[in-house]
Amino acid sequence: MQSQKIEEHFITEKPFYLPQKNELAVALAAYGNGLPLLLKGPTGSGKTRFMQFLAWTVKRPLITVSCHDDLSTSDLVGRYLIRGGETFWLDGPMTLAVRYGAICYLDEVVEARKDTTVVIHPLADDRRQLAIEKRGELLTAPREFMLAVSYNPGYQSVLKDMKQSTRQRFVALELNYPPPELERDIIRHEAGIEEPLAHSLVRIAAMTRGLKDSGLQEGASTRLLVHAGLLIREGIPPREACHVTITEALTDDHELVGAIDEMISSVI
Amino acid sequence: MERVATAVSLQQVIPDHQLNEWEHEELIEQLAAYDEQLERAVLAQIAVIWPVSHALCFAFLEQLHNGLRCLETKELAEWVKGILHAYEADGLRAARLYMADVENNFLCPRRGESGLTFAEAQGRLVPYIRGISGRGLQLEVSAAAATDTSTIFLPRDVRFYRDHTGNFQVYKLLATYQWAFISQDLYCQNHAQSAAIHFPGGRQQSREGDSDDILVRFFSIFPHQQLAQDIYHLLQTLRVSLFMQQEYPGLMRDLGPFFALLLENRPDLQRLAGIDYQLEKIRQWLLGQLSGEKASALGGDPQLRNIVAAAWNGRADNGDIFMATRGFYDAFCHDKPAYEPLQPLFFQGEFRPREAHRARLARRESNRQKFIEALAAILPPQAAAEAAEAEKEPKQPVANVVENGANVTPAQHHATNQAEPDPQSAEEPRFICLDDAQLELPEELRELAREIEEDLGSLPSFYISSASQRAGGQSRSPLKGPQQEEGEGLQGGLLYDEWDFRRQGFRKNWCRLHRKQLHAVKGTFVSSTLEKYRGQIMQLKRQFEMMRTQHLFIGRQRDGEDVDLDALTEAYADIRAGLVPSDRLFVRLQRDQRDIAALFLVDMSSSTEGWVGTALKESLVLLSEALDSLGDRYAIYGFSGMRRTRSEIYHIKEFTEPYSDEIRGRIAAIAPVDYTRMGPPIRHFTGVLSKVEAKVRLLIILTDGKPEDYDDYKGEYAIEDTRHALIEAKNAGIHPFCITIDREAQDYMGHMFGEINYTFINDVRKLPLRVPEIYRLLTS
Repeated sequence: MQSQKIEEHFITEKPFYLPQKNELAVALAAYGNGLPLLLKGPTGSGKTRFMQFLAWTVKRPLITVSCHDDLSTSDLVGRYLIRGGETFWLDGPMTLAVRYGAICYLDEVVEARKDTTVVIHPLADDRRQLAIEKRGELLTAPREFMLAVSYNPGYQSVLKDMKQSTRQRFVALELNYPPPELERDIIRHEAGIEEPLAHSLVRIAAMTRGLKDSGLQEGASTRLLVHAGLLIREGIPPREACHVTITEALTDDHELVGAIDEMISSVI
Repeated sequence: MERVATAVSLQQVIPDHQLNEWEHEELIEQLAAYDEQLERAVLAQIAVIWPVSHALCFAFLEQLHNGLRCLETKELAEWVKGILHAYEADGLRAARLYMADVENNFLCPRRGESGLTFAEAQGRLVPYIRGISGRGLQLEVSAAAATDTSTIFLPRDVRFYRDHTGNFQVYKLLATYQWAFISQDLYCQNHAQSAAIHFPGGRQQSREGDSDDILVRFFSIFPHQQLAQDIYHLLQTLRVSLFMQQEYPGLMRDLGPFFALLLENRPDLQRLAGIDYQLEKIRQWLLGQLSGEKASALGGDPQLRNIVAAAWNGRADNGDIFMATRGFYDAFCHDKPAYEPLQPLFFQGEFRPREAHRARLARRESNRQKFIEALAAILPPQAAAEAAEAEKEPKQPVANVVENGANVTPAQHHATNQAEPDPQSAEEPRFICLDDAQLELPEELRELAREIEEDLGSLPSFYISSASQRAGGQSRSPLKGPQQEEGEGLQGGLLYDEWDFRRQGFRKNWCRLHRKQLHAVKGTFVSSTLEKYRGQIMQLKRQFEMMRTQHLFIGRQRDGEDVDLDALTEAYADIRAGLVPSDRLFVRLQRDQRDIAALFLVDMSSSTEGWVGTALKESLVLLSEALDSLGDRYAIYGFSGMRRTRSEIYHIKEFTEPYSDEIRGRIAAIAPVDYTRMGPPIRHFTGVLSKVEAKVRLLIILTDGKPEDYDDYKGEYAIEDTRHALIEAKNAGIHPFCITIDREAQDYMGHMFGEINYTFINDVRKLPLRVPEIYRLLTS
């Protein structure tokens, strides 16, 4: 087993990202002052893409950890392993990021157990330190290091709320769905489709986002629209493509499925 | 059958105390007249209807004689299903109508002779129309398609095609057309646009700039008003059809064959003359355009071509339609011609300017109230009080709306009522100035203000001054300070404080809370619910069982059933590295990781009478079934009461009680009682819950609207007290969550539940399945 190479985490090509408002300026200011960043927003609204864009802008590697409820502290910090009768230390992603001054991005941080997320506390305040207990090592993060986490406030689960002691360390940016014109340009570019189709897809998305009161948990995300566009470009008939990427992805409720399909067939 | 026996069986379905003596007598008399088999069948149906609505049950008994003339005994159950459906969809009146015509409403559909009914289509149509419009529009049944701009009316059934798919498309077309009429402002309700319309012959606009009756004024210039309306409506249909083609191309393409079908069925042009001929020519031309065949040409008449071109060009607005209507009338209708209206185009529906005007006024009133309430809620009390004070000095400007841009419209100044000291004018109000402080309006309020301006042209200043008066706590008659009330002598029970937002403090020991028992009733409610939702319950149970087994194995434990390989490897590596290895090397089967205690508090106020109450009970049954398979601890209580001295909670299930037949009977016994005073029960159960040992403590409240009691517990006071009680619960480490059932989202909800989570359900039929779903989402 090899430690991940930091070079692999550099983003070499400029990611496509159209700023919604001042999020880049805010993130850069936070970066310059060593403040950690919290991204809030619904799924598929561009949080991860934004992080890639930020990493590319500041020319630092981006190390992403998708959090889940079995994530342990050693998964983040690192552990000893054995090879050929010898032990060696393997840096976890967090340690790697601190050592090399990368951006460490914990995606969906609320999914991780609360006792795990506590290790980020000393990193997320002005100490900017990571203690590796097993090695007796105390790393202080270089200026280039940044901690970023994301979460989706749309889930109302009481078990998945962020602790105040954690969230009050961050500069919080809300990334919602982009406004229609911007979203249209994003889909056009990402899926490589014509403007009228992109416009129709954006209209469908706006319609589904208004259905929250009718029992839909979340509306269609920008990502879903890109998926729909990609399938259509591949030659799948538009309504069918929207059905499989948007309707069925959003809900299992029979009537809502019907209603969303009707919206699609009205517009396309 | 003997009357005594009848009485006994009747008592099993309707407890004696729920009937008057004479009602009881009459009922027994009626039942005794039937033969044994029929009597049993009728009694079984009474048991079904009675818990839904008593009034419906009496109506049913009235109509029963009529119905039995053409129904067989075994068809009775199906008929009752239909009645209940009509009742649940449209209320008692609809149910009566349904019962009155057994042949058409029940027997025909049974023989497969009907098309698609509105009831069948609406499940899909309602979310569809709300989705495309982005508004909480209502759909209702009416004789023909129409709209009053708040509600879209659709025919009871559509029978163009044999299959449901085709008929549904027609429903969809009708609904979408009506939405397009609303969005294209058929009834000229946009103040700014209507004000810009000038038409020859129109009387002088009133000084108030009142545009409310611009349509009335317009039509009054024609000798034949009905004809003018028909022309106007048809030309608007042209304009809107083009809009539909641009906005909903898929729909219009799909419906091409339908337009062709309509075209085939239009009367023969050769037989028509005069205006009929000209109007019909336009209709057929439009159908030709829409069906994509373009079979019908407009012919050589240049006047007609110009009129059509004025409406069919993508840039036409209401003013152009006014002109075109006028042009058409002048060209083809000389004075007051004889006019027998031909059938209008099916999809254009009916033109109902009066209803639209009424709906506009109703909306204006409700917007006014909403705005004042919402603004008062965000005004800082002190500033508001000062503003209200200043209000008395006429010279001093009190509150001023600041424009977003520099776009000031001085026209509003003279339009403002003299009594108000400060004229308001704004395009898009974002801030409100109170003295020197600037207050930014929150998103919803801005939206509301925009809507009001669209309607009235400007935001009336008294809206703002009323709000500041209200926030300052002045001139509010129903919410005056504490009143002495009778019934003070009621003793016993628990005392609770109540929050008075005006004094920002508690009224000490203000409410007396009494605990009451609900006595289990026997009946078919639970078993029929279980039957009705059999499939869904199985699914729910499976989902909930999966939650139970989710985190079964937990690693890195000091002891357990099996070795944790990951941990062992790490420990071995640690040893080799010369470190002290961890002793957490096992995985353990965790059985009770879900350490959750949930308390459900059910609104038993009289407003839940009828379908809402039934849905609430059904959801409790489903929830209990699901939770039973999950193993979470839960308790259920009802609450209601009247006045502060008699707040009541009804015991249904404690945490420690197992879910049994007794509990099922108590759920069935839930019935509407009095009023909704939410504070005391929330405070009581906050206390109860905080004593329960659990990692997560949930207080889930099911309610159907605003808190309100018989005394001064209403409006803002009640909302503030409820809000405060919920915050108290949250501070006690409890997670309160509200599920509220209403026709549309209300503004107070955001404020009342703002500190906590809530969800609102506008489709009561969805409630029984949504409640377990919400619980699942909340706790996973």
